[in-house]
Amino acid sequence: MLVDNLEALTEQVAATSKGGRSLTIVGGGTKTFLGNPPVESAMEISVRSHCGIVDYHPEELVIRARAGTPIAELKQVLDKEGQILAFDPPDHSGSATLGGVVATGLSGSRRPYSGAVKDFVLGVGMILHDGAYCEFGGQVMKNVAGYDVSRLVCGSFGTLGILADVSLKVLPKPETEITLVFEVSLTQAKQQLEALTRQVSPLSASCFVDGSLRIRLSGGQASVLSSRSALGGEETSSDYWNLLDTHRIEPFLGSDEVWRLSTFSEEPFDDDEFALCDWAFAQRWLINPASNPRVGYQGAGHWTRFKSGNQNIDGEVFEPLSSVELALHKRIKKVFDPNGLFNPQRLYRDL
Amino acid sequence: MALDNQSFVNRLRSIVQDVITDDERMSVYETDGLTAKKQLPGIVVLPETVPQVQAITALCHECNIPLVARGAGTGLSGGAMPHRQGVLMVMARFNQVVEVDENAQTAIVQPGVTNLAISEAVQEFGLYYAPDPSSQIACTIGGNVAENSGGVHCLKYGLTVHNVKRLSVVLPDGELLILGGPGYDSPGFDLLSLMHGSEGMLGIVVEVVVKLLPKPPGVAVLMAAFASIADAANSVNEVIGAGILPAGLEMMDRLATEAAEAFVGAGYPTDAEALLLCELDGVDEELEAALVMVQDVFERNRAISISVARDEAQRQKLWLGRKAAFPAMGRIAPDYYCMDGTIPRRELAAVLDRITELSKHYGLQVANVFHAGDGNLHPLILYDANIEDQLLSAEAFGSDILSLCIARGGTITGEHGVGIEKINEMCLQFNSDELRVFHGIKKAFDDREILNPGKAIPTLSRCAEFGAMHVHAGAEKFPELDRF
Repeated sequence: MLVDNLEALTEQVAATSKGGRSLTIVGGGTKTFLGNPPVESAMEISVRSHCGIVDYHPEELVIRARAGTPIAELKQVLDKEGQILAFDPPDHSGSATLGGVVATGLSGSRRPYSGAVKDFVLGVGMILHDGAYCEFGGQVMKNVAGYDVSRLVCGSFGTLGILADVSLKVLPKPETEITLVFEVSLTQAKQQLEALTRQVSPLSASCFVDGSLRIRLSGGQASVLSSRSALGGEETSSDYWNLLDTHRIEPFLGSDEVWRLSTFSEEPFDDDEFALCDWAFAQRWLINPASNPRVGYQGAGHWTRFKSGNQNIDGEVFEPLSSVELALHKRIKKVFDPNGLFNPQRLYRDL
Repeated sequence: MALDNQSFVNRLRSIVQDVITDDERMSVYETDGLTAKKQLPGIVVLPETVPQVQAITALCHECNIPLVARGAGTGLSGGAMPHRQGVLMVMARFNQVVEVDENAQTAIVQPGVTNLAISEAVQEFGLYYAPDPSSQIACTIGGNVAENSGGVHCLKYGLTVHNVKRLSVVLPDGELLILGGPGYDSPGFDLLSLMHGSEGMLGIVVEVVVKLLPKPPGVAVLMAAFASIADAANSVNEVIGAGILPAGLEMMDRLATEAAEAFVGAGYPTDAEALLLCELDGVDEELEAALVMVQDVFERNRAISISVARDEAQRQKLWLGRKAAFPAMGRIAPDYYCMDGTIPRRELAAVLDRITELSKHYGLQVANVFHAGDGNLHPLILYDANIEDQLLSAEAFGSDILSLCIARGGTITGEHGVGIEKINEMCLQFNSDELRVFHGIKKAFDDREILNPGKAIPTLSRCAEFGAMHVHAGAEKFPELDRF
């Protein structure tokens, strides 16, 4: 479905801008749990109706679509041409939109192996505070004209403007994909992954939970099969990864207080410290911790309070910024949104 | 405060030992790779430590003195062109690979380390740094970050921005900021990405943590000659359409091939209209399958000849001609002007045709040697600076090529940056709302606009002046501004 609703969106932005209220930008509404809640006086603006694929030439490895396009639709269209979104966008209940995925900057299991959403964004069209529609980046692989605003907006949680359309680099779909599971200790799991990353390998996902290491191998059939026979292990369903990326498996099921540590794989930790580790141990999850894990944490990396359900825990959603960083963030916010129109406080309460 | 104020110079000398003020010694810094633009700096400093960089920057900020950072000066858009009333900070002394982490596959390097030196330093671990601009023996990683440099291998392995994990940056007021971190993401806005390609306008890079990759076990290079540009261009699209991601896919036209062959004797056929070089890498099984598929595509598109280089020496020989293509132009013309537009690949044949027409119109020869897989063109306009008006003609020709790239859905610069060179063409690619955002970002980092002033982002009045001639899609881009 291709619907151009840009005019209505810009009009709504311009009108709200004059009225002095703020806007809560909504796509598929699947990630409202993440980030600070909207301020009470804010009005919702839905980008869902501005949707459809604007331009897709498979041989260019580029797709341009409106922000309200469901990720599921994009995946389907790409799949017909043997292509994929190589950052494994978490597709919450099938209704996550392109705009929402880019705005929240969330990437899935492939992140350590082929890159994040920002690595595949080539350009964006966005609506600024005064209703002006601006384009940054473009539809080509290499483009260094102007500052890289299209990557800056990835993960900015709608605080800089409303994404109207996005151009993404896509990749050929791997010929073969299999998932293997190994019953191993934590130490063995770490060693096994280290060995795999030391060489060119078809590794495309990894997760350690409850004494099970799962890995996904993607690539040409010959190389996947040769890796598979060298590694051993049991073959299991590759559906696992989408369920993992959208937290529809244990230990996430039913949990309402979830914390995420983003660190480097080598950062030491204890055997039972985390409920689940993926991204080659660079992404670690705590389920229902009794207290704020950020307090007193001395290691490398940063914490995100992914789900905030426990009223007894007091902790910011995103890792607090230094005073220099925060001041810079405020100045950048002001460039795009001088009157605090878009998603105020969603990312940081002072922003 | 003026630059010639003795107290400013004395304060600089109290921070850093190497302060150069005489014009003769400064003349080596008067240009970067864009040699048509020359400007002597006001003062040159060569700091050796991060605190020195911070103190120099803070001093310039305090005194409102322009400050331009320079790496190796290989940039092709005049990004490092000095400011006569400003300080040129040469980062050459920051030339150490600080630490290599074999397990994490990262290296901490100082900004003045050359691109190639990184790969050399990590070679013993079976690792390498993927982005490889043609100037890699000389260009520095700090400059690579400033320009978001690409190279032959970025179709598969990405640009500089995809291969840097962390940056230490000195802000215009002298504050040190760490962008990125140990993990795969960091909190807040993605300032790490924003810094890439910012052309020394937002901060000065003083340390870089790069991502390293394991060397692929198998590599092969195919060379195919074609009787027409269209056949070669179609081959490029079909290879990628077939789901193959070559490590590099380069095209050279007849003039470029002839010049390169005469220069280094790479074994290129000189009777073809277009030459493709296609590098494939990976584990052996996959490599063999891809080789067969690519050969198939080339044959289907009527390749006149195809050869495959497998061992290191043969491959290097084939690449030698490509990498020497720029200097090889020196044999057929005294000067050349290198353009850098990127277009959607499907427009390749049409755009190259139009460039040939423009070449006739301007009476200047053009050689094409470029990253075909990325659609990143490098037309080399040949001219003689000693013939009156030839440089002006070459610049006008270049500007027409960039307009053509925009009209075909592309961009004015794929990897060389805007600098001073393409500042006017920025007005064609961006409207006043977009340029205002860029100026706002600049001010958010650099309220006094001391870093690299006058580069990368044109003022709106400059665009009004330049844009008077250009009408985009029937609408003037700057209707609200006065015309000059």
